[in-house]
Amino acid sequence: MKKILLIAAVSMTTLGFAQEVQETFNGTRVINGHSTETLEARILQFRIEHRFGDMAGANGGVQQFFGFDQAADIRFAFEYGITKDLMVGLGRSKGTGAPYRSLVDMFVKYKILAQEKGKMPVSLTVLGSGTATYMQASSDLTQVTSFPEFAHRLAYNSQLLVSRKFGESVSAQLMPTYVHRNFVDIDDVNGMFAIGGALHCKITKTIGLSAEYYHAIHDSGVRTTNTNSLGFAFEWITNGHTFKLNVTNSRGFNETQFIPYTYSSWKDGEFRLGFTISRNFKL
Amino acid sequence: MSIISVEEALFRLGDEKLNHSITEIDLEKAKIGQDLIYFGRTVRDGKKSKRISSYFVCTDCHNMSKEFEDITSQDPSERLVYAKKNGLEFLPGSTLWGIYNRTSFYNDDYVRKYGDLVDDARNSLENSTQLCAKYCSSGRNLEDWELEGIMHYFKKNQLMIKDLNLSEDNRSLLASYQNLSDPERTKLISAIKAEYVEGYAATFLETMPRDKRKYGEGGDVENGKTIYEKSCMYCHENKRVTYLHLDQGKLSGKMFWRNIKSYNDRSLYQIIRHGTYSKAGRKQYMPHYTEEKMSDAQLNDLVAYIKLIAKKK
Repeated sequence: MKKILLIAAVSMTTLGFAQEVQETFNGTRVINGHSTETLEARILQFRIEHRFGDMAGANGGVQQFFGFDQAADIRFAFEYGITKDLMVGLGRSKGTGAPYRSLVDMFVKYKILAQEKGKMPVSLTVLGSGTATYMQASSDLTQVTSFPEFAHRLAYNSQLLVSRKFGESVSAQLMPTYVHRNFVDIDDVNGMFAIGGALHCKITKTIGLSAEYYHAIHDSGVRTTNTNSLGFAFEWITNGHTFKLNVTNSRGFNETQFIPYTYSSWKDGEFRLGFTISRNFKL
Repeated sequence: MSIISVEEALFRLGDEKLNHSITEIDLEKAKIGQDLIYFGRTVRDGKKSKRISSYFVCTDCHNMSKEFEDITSQDPSERLVYAKKNGLEFLPGSTLWGIYNRTSFYNDDYVRKYGDLVDDARNSLENSTQLCAKYCSSGRNLEDWELEGIMHYFKKNQLMIKDLNLSEDNRSLLASYQNLSDPERTKLISAIKAEYVEGYAATFLETMPRDKRKYGEGGDVENGKTIYEKSCMYCHENKRVTYLHLDQGKLSGKMFWRNIKSYNDRSLYQIIRHGTYSKAGRKQYMPHYTEEKMSDAQLNDLVAYIKLIAKKK
């Protein structure tokens, strides 16, 4: 009996989940937002993410060397796979200054369903994340950064991520999202829905292209100066590293920032180059 | 008589005891050894023990069962046939089944390549197990209780006389060993030892030069598929041991085919013969296949299959 159990355990370890569709996206992020992918168990990932300044428009061009002279946002993070379906992350970002700087973020992500050939048509992952800013409070009480209470520094995001890989190369994802910010401007809303969509195409085993768009949903009378986040990325994976080179109009990291606080417009040249480098360590 | 162990039979005939000889199997210790071999850790005093390696367990590279119909064979083609027939993996390491009866480890080119590192392990099962735990698995030295457990598990998986293809005459002689003269005993000891492998050969091959590569021409695609499934995908499918996921799709095939003429890690001709190296930040490496574990003909079979899945003519 013990022998049978051992064989079953080893089979589970080595052959289990053999039908799960792999590499729907190159990594745990599409561009700014999360993909349905989670880190494998006992993998610690270190991430460095950077967004430069506007490439063109009033704040870009050759005088700013197409945005390279500026850093819209920078994020460092450690993320960890607790099981093959459950991961957590802790990061720190500079913040765009519009409106926040000095942000700490945390998230928990769990893959509920994995796409399986002939069994399960989609992967489904749930994400809960939050950010807290520790920037110095403004003395101007009309500002959203005046933070009368500590809770005003906090914002939350919850998402369902639904993806499907079509064949070997093409994947698509939908991201229904709810973002809640505890303290907002008079012409803004605390709770806001958004819907995201993403596409990914694997050109080779190690090179891919991605596109990602988030559409914020709110009444037309508010948030009149905001735009929606749209980005494109070129990806390259090696043994343990993932490199993403992207162009996007959003400036900040984390769903609580780039979904409600994107103001830049592609048509005005307010898009920027960015990159993400992630490195995996097995613990 | 056939249910006695090879060790016991040899001892009765007056052969020297093995360096690592264990008089009696302790099943509790053997269970610990089994856990360590399959899972890299066990539960001791109610607590999970520290992993031997974060990257590998023994069964990533070694089967734990018989690998040949004729266990004196070291022919990789016979090994593949047996693996296919019995649902075994086709791995770079020798089986740990019967390792208890071996007297020589890290043989031939291991000595030439690694020199002093393998010196203490050459004639010692305990030391070679330690070497494997520390270096081959990018792990740590085993504690005494761990090594003891593994040794008891090896003893539990030792060769029995019934496992050997010993002639009827020799079986009869062994049954009445008390009546044998010393020369007869010596002869029988040799006959028994000729029926299993005391030390597996290891020939390290260089990356095949381009002008010698057949690029799959004349290769057996079915064999190649078996090798791909039982060697490559055993570790790479779903990134089980590595960061690189491999499947039987076109993208995986094209990745290899694009590099087939190269001398780099993505060239099957290089990676099979050299593997990769363990380095800081990426301790999990790919072990190489010696000639005895994968022949050049089998490598050509594998390339023929890769060509097929890459949809190249």
